[in-house]
Amino acid sequence: MTDAKQTPSSPDDEMLKHFRDHSSGEPPAHLDAFILATAHREAPAPKPNLWQRWLHACQQPRWQVAFASLVGVALMLALVQRTPEQLPNYDFAPAPKASAPAAKPEAAARSLDEPTGAMSAPAPAAPMAEFSAPMQRESINSEMADEAKLSKRAAAPAKSLDDQLREVMRLQDAGQTQAAEALMTTLHKRFPKENLAAKLKEMQKK
Amino acid sequence: MSDPAISSTASSDESLLARYRSGDGPAFEVLYARHRQGLYRFLLGLSGKPELAEEVYQETWLSLIRSTSQPQGRANFRTWLYQIARNRLIDHWRKHGVHNPLHDSYDEQAHALIDDAADPEQLLSLSRDGQRLETALQTLPADQREVFLLRAHGDLDLPQIATLTETPLETVKSRLRYAQQKLRRLLAEEVLT
Repeated sequence: MTDAKQTPSSPDDEMLKHFRDHSSGEPPAHLDAFILATAHREAPAPKPNLWQRWLHACQQPRWQVAFASLVGVALMLALVQRTPEQLPNYDFAPAPKASAPAAKPEAAARSLDEPTGAMSAPAPAAPMAEFSAPMQRESINSEMADEAKLSKRAAAPAKSLDDQLREVMRLQDAGQTQAAEALMTTLHKRFPKENLAAKLKEMQKK
Repeated sequence: MSDPAISSTASSDESLLARYRSGDGPAFEVLYARHRQGLYRFLLGLSGKPELAEEVYQETWLSLIRSTSQPQGRANFRTWLYQIARNRLIDHWRKHGVHNPLHDSYDEQAHALIDDAADPEQLLSLSRDGQRLETALQTLPADQREVFLLRAHGDLDLPQIATLTETPLETVKSRLRYAQQKLRRLLAEEVLT
């Protein structure tokens, strides 16, 4: 460090350079060796980079649990978020399709019994099919809820006219005339073109 | 790719220290090689005793190795290193009941002599004998000697010396001037005798 000095420009600088150049005194070699050895021995461990620190953290048990929990939550969220996207098939009212086979035999049977009236009677699937259009405009959650309702309806189809009339007969036999009349009123509204009284009498004869 | 040794040589003291603190052992070797001679000669000249100089020199470097602190504020590594060494030496004097000569108030004006050796040609006749240089240096008052040693071997500029010794800049300037005048006179006289 005393060698690379600028060219002296004054007597004072000459004096400094003279001292630097001709002073004696060097630290002993054993002192150099001791200090350097100590420096190497006590040098701080190299700091791991970000990736190494991440790996090290992952190896800690408490962090393993934390990371596993985090990954589990992330997976659950991903599944929950993805589920509605995987239901495009339900946007087109599957319930009527499912209920159609169940309703068709009844309709066929009714058409065989009363060819003229059966054509005018609404098929059980028809009202449900009408729901499919507004269903498409609703949100995914409401669609799913409606789908569930429709599925239930498909599983338990609406009672046929004959069944309803038998229920009227049963109510009349049981003396519940008001209930029977109320049901007849409802059936009149539902099947306005049917001659319910004649049909009821015919059934009572049987 | 650049050679690590070359890049270490070109690095500043502060960056070398930072690299050593981050685990780069060879950076310390470069740092040590830069300052070993100057620091030792500063301590030897200030204490006047090789054994004491070696002890404080070792303590200074070990303190630096084991410390995690860095040069603070405007201080650079060189100022910081010499500050540590100076404080260690003062601590040693205090611990062993030795009077600290650096605290002596010295009337520099009273000891100032007319400098008649300012001729550059006369400087060529200054003694080059290391022992004579050392003897002349020891004749200086301690505070003048300290400033001269920090300037000559520490390569510190005057404001840095003023900061390190907590002395006004003008006082540092006058101490250095008187020290150089006296040394010039002593060394010239040595040659003439």
